Amino acid sequence: MLELRLVQGSLLKKVLEAIRELVTDANFDCSGTGFSLQAMDSSHVALVALLLRAEGFEHYRCDRNLSMGMNLNNMAKMLRCAGNDDIITIKADDGSDTVTFMFESPKQDKIADFEMKLMDIDSEHLGIPDSEYQAIVRMPSAEFMRICKDLSSIGDTVIISVTKEGVKFSTSGEIGSANIVCRQNQTVDKPEEATVIEMQEPVSLTFALRYMNSFTKASSLSDQVTISLSSELPVVVEYKIAEMGYIRFYLAPKIEEDEEMKP
Amino acid sequence: MSHSTVFSHLWNCRSAYHRQNRLDIAAASFPLPSSSRCSLQSATRAASPPALKSETRGFKMGLRVWLLWWRWTGVSPRRENTQPTGWSKGGKNRNSSRFLAPLRLRRRPPRAAAVGDEMGIKGLTKLLADNAPKAMKEQKFESYFGRKIAVDASMSIYQFLIVVGRTGMETLTNEAGEVTSHLQGMFNRTIRLLEAGIKPVYVFDGKPPDLKKQELAKRYSKREDATKELTEAVEEGDKDAIEKLSKRTVKVTRQHNDDCKKLLRLMGVPVVEAPCEAEAECAALCTNDKVYAVASEDMDSLTFGAPRFLRHLMDPSSKKIPVMEFDVAKVLEELELTMDQFIDLCILCGCDYCDSIKGIGGQTALKLIRQHGSIESILENLNKDRYQIPEDWPYQEARRLFKEPDVTLDIPELKWTAPDEEGLISFLVKDNGFNEDRVTKAIEKIKSAKNKSSQGRLESFFKPVVSTSAPLKRKETSEKTTKAAANKKTKAGGKKK
Repeated sequence: MLELRLVQGSLLKKVLEAIRELVTDANFDCSGTGFSLQAMDSSHVALVALLLRAEGFEHYRCDRNLSMGMNLNNMAKMLRCAGNDDIITIKADDGSDTVTFMFESPKQDKIADFEMKLMDIDSEHLGIPDSEYQAIVRMPSAEFMRICKDLSSIGDTVIISVTKEGVKFSTSGEIGSANIVCRQNQTVDKPEEATVIEMQEPVSLTFALRYMNSFTKASSLSDQVTISLSSELPVVVEYKIAEMGYIRFYLAPKIEEDEEMKP
Repeated sequence: MSHSTVFSHLWNCRSAYHRQNRLDIAAASFPLPSSSRCSLQSATRAASPPALKSETRGFKMGLRVWLLWWRWTGVSPRRENTQPTGWSKGGKNRNSSRFLAPLRLRRRPPRAAAVGDEMGIKGLTKLLADNAPKAMKEQKFESYFGRKIAVDASMSIYQFLIVVGRTGMETLTNEAGEVTSHLQGMFNRTIRLLEAGIKPVYVFDGKPPDLKKQELAKRYSKREDATKELTEAVEEGDKDAIEKLSKRTVKVTRQHNDDCKKLLRLMGVPVVEAPCEAEAECAALCTNDKVYAVASEDMDSLTFGAPRFLRHLMDPSSKKIPVMEFDVAKVLEELELTMDQFIDLCILCGCDYCDSIKGIGGQTALKLIRQHGSIESILENLNKDRYQIPEDWPYQEARRLFKEPDVTLDIPELKWTAPDEEGLISFLVKDNGFNEDRVTKAIEKIKSAKNKSSQGRLESFFKPVVSTSAPLKRKETSEKTTKAAANKKTKAGGKKK
């Protein structure tokens, strides 16, 4: 038996819009701690990890750990039928092949039940160790979205380098090249407009812009984005979901050809 | 109300509508087989128990309307049951489990390949599609970027000779009249792999094992026959036959192999010469983590134990066939067999090394192996009057070839180097009459594919772990349905014999 009641239903809609482009089918895992998802894109280059903690739900009941395979496009179709102020309840019975989304209007005068078929998805679950990152950049999510969008009109890859000066995003393509530098800036009126750089060591990595652009779909969930970089690890682009949890995107860097790679 | 009243009322109604052609109706109103007519009567009887005397008129009308509709259309929920049993046996039955299965959606059901083009193990693709669907996954060609993949070269060359640039009997040739289809194919397809960031290693056949000589002799005589028929077809001018037969006369010669090796070395692509069978060598490279997967069209690769086996990787992009990935561990898990039993299953299905038992196909073989565990034990228990075991049946030798094939891991490190431009131009353009512009452009493609820094994969940073949460009922249902389906099939298969 599973019953999760989320007062701020629009949150779930936004989460889905954020990951739908990257992943088509995914298993949602429910446990006592919360509602989570981990899924890789089809080419195993990017990974999305979502956590909505149990405390964030108005009512959270999950009798045993279980996973539900859903097609995200179909799920999005159903969630699109919910109003932005609606309260969404996710329900599933033990041994059932379906999950039910219940939408209640804020005035309680309309209740809609949408039942969706589940699917069998055998997906690999990756173990992501907690690690120290060489550089962590926190900046306004709208700014990061703008940078990725602008750079992708010039080239396909972005080199992100963090130095004492600031964080530099650069690209080059057939028509030319572009560099955008963001400096540390904490003297702003609103804290969500700050840019903060914590650097242990300078680091520079190359990534495919296509993926970065799809990560920025999560910008509506949070005013700030945190980008964690280490030369030995995939980049982590994290959007905090207020009082609930987070959505994290991992992206494997591009590697220079000479390096010996695994088969 | 007896059923005859219903009948007469029915009759009156119909007559009222079709008075003019009553005779036709009389003939047409009983188109059902006699068994269905019986069921009509019994249906009426069942629907008119004594209590019906007090029934309302509305219900009577409803019954009449229903019966009318049923008589007119001949369609009723009962009709299927009244068919003589066995009427719907055959193709349709096979899918019935899918329709009866729970509402759960299935992701990408694997497509069973046509049985005709099967190489290596007869009917194995279909057997796996029916019994181990989870072991097969359709993958995008692009998703193999950055992967090292061992390609069975002889198989590819054979395909190129058949397909590339062929119309009727004419193939691509150079000035000297020698066929160059294999070079054209090898050059283009390899560039396609390189552009996708895939790192191919081509593995060439060595000496065939003695056991395969029988099969090779068979193929040789088939080719001879085809050559004869081809000359006849040419005389008669039968174009379709020429097309078909000329494909059958194709043979991969030492010269073709040597040409391709030379070409690949010039392109900077590594070449491995197997001591014996190429598929076995590919499988060994894969087992020892020298490559990520094996690409071939020959299902033998699975029998040799290649952990990951890809089909359709070398198909032209224009065909838009997705790559089919087989996972040997999953095959064994789904079939509930050990590797040794799987090898025995393949031998029973029919392999290149020895004959199989007449009358035993994949499905029966699977049933027998599951029941008895090995060929030896099957032989002990098999009804010898029903099945004829080949007199000289070296299945043990075949098994040994699959289990301990002659392979070498003593190969130089696999390296992908820059292409030799001058060498390629002199070999392809001067010796084999390729268009110089095209070759130069193609070389550019190889170089730019090499220069591109390649995209890393998440698996090289994070390792897979076992997920802790149990799926919502999923396992039980899916297992039940597949098992039930499998049982049904084996039963049906057994009856046919």
